Amino acid sequence: MEMDSNETQPTVVVSSPPGRISLRPMTLADVDDYMVWATDAEVARFCSWEPCTSREEAIKYISDSVLTHPWLRAICLEDDRPIGYILIMAVDDIRKEIGYVLARKYWGKGFATEAVRLVTAEIFKEMPEIERLEALVDVDNVGSQRVLEKVGFTREGVMRNFIIMKGSVRDMVMFSFLPSDPLK
Amino acid sequence: MDIDSCTRKAVSSSPSEKIHLRPMTLSDIDDFMVWATDINVTRFCTWEPYTSQEAGIGYINSFVLPHPWLRAICLDDDRAIGSISVTPVDSIRGEIGYVIGSKYWGKGIATEAVRLVAAEIFKEKPEMERLEALVDVDNIGSQKVLEKVGFVREGVMRKFMCLKGNVRDMVMFSFLPSDSLL
Repeated sequence: MEMDSNETQPTVVVSSPPGRISLRPMTLADVDDYMVWATDAEVARFCSWEPCTSREEAIKYISDSVLTHPWLRAICLEDDRPIGYILIMAVDDIRKEIGYVLARKYWGKGFATEAVRLVTAEIFKEMPEIERLEALVDVDNVGSQRVLEKVGFTREGVMRNFIIMKGSVRDMVMFSFLPSDPLK
Repeated sequence: MDIDSCTRKAVSSSPSEKIHLRPMTLSDIDDFMVWATDINVTRFCTWEPYTSQEAGIGYINSFVLPHPWLRAICLDDDRAIGSISVTPVDSIRGEIGYVIGSKYWGKGIATEAVRLVAAEIFKEKPEMERLEALVDVDNIGSQKVLEKVGFVREGVMRKFMCLKGNVRDMVMFSFLPSDSLL
């Protein structure tokens, strides 16, 4: 895409091909890379957690919540270092919820879209009982809504006053992807 | 308004018979069995029609009496013709559900019962930020009830719930404390 060098970079997610990413389990050895996004208030803005403030806290969180998670994968670039993670949570017997977080430096390059696409392409084979993969996104988190739309999730509607996030009641956009849906 | 141009809707906005809500008790068992045994009534419910009074008594004891908020819907004679409930989903969300005997369908009774609840529940439960309802895509009658009260139809949640062994699409509705009753 041609750009006048005097213009600022666009903040929208561009359609240029993403760098290659791979998914793997996270380990305690990832703690320093984890801290890059976990300490960032802008990354934490729409997450349920507050930014991490120490390496000890990060180690504890990884041990207690990340390594024990039933389905969580580090999103890695070619050097196998994580730039974020993606996870699947069970809502009930037939519904799973997808969530993902990416270090800010890597926003706007299609990495989250590629990670969501990879997971969505494989998860129904891995978990044949799933009838519905869903995602709940804050109304103001437009970037994350675009990720899901680009993969082919269906935007079902805005659920008003749906959850409490950091003390505020938030409207959330509900998205879903079914085993019969086509990936974009 | 010119009387001749008035249109009468099939389901009136004020029911032809006045209803009130009150707690349900074991003495309502015979009236409960009228709607609970009716396959037309249970079509979109998660439960099968009841087949014995004993099972009905069990339901009243184990579900109705301990329920945080459940009311019988009664006509003037104070006999129950259905029930309506608000069940907590979490600390800020409550889900409304209602069932009416089929003999009383099409008279605006469910609409009036839902309106009564939506008008009062936020005073009773000030922590509630959202009253929601999930309705089967095929249950048009129940969707109309909520729309007539002023609930917002937020969207169709695909493959949302298992109903009697089938995975169903459900319409999500909500009513907030700041919303206006119609």
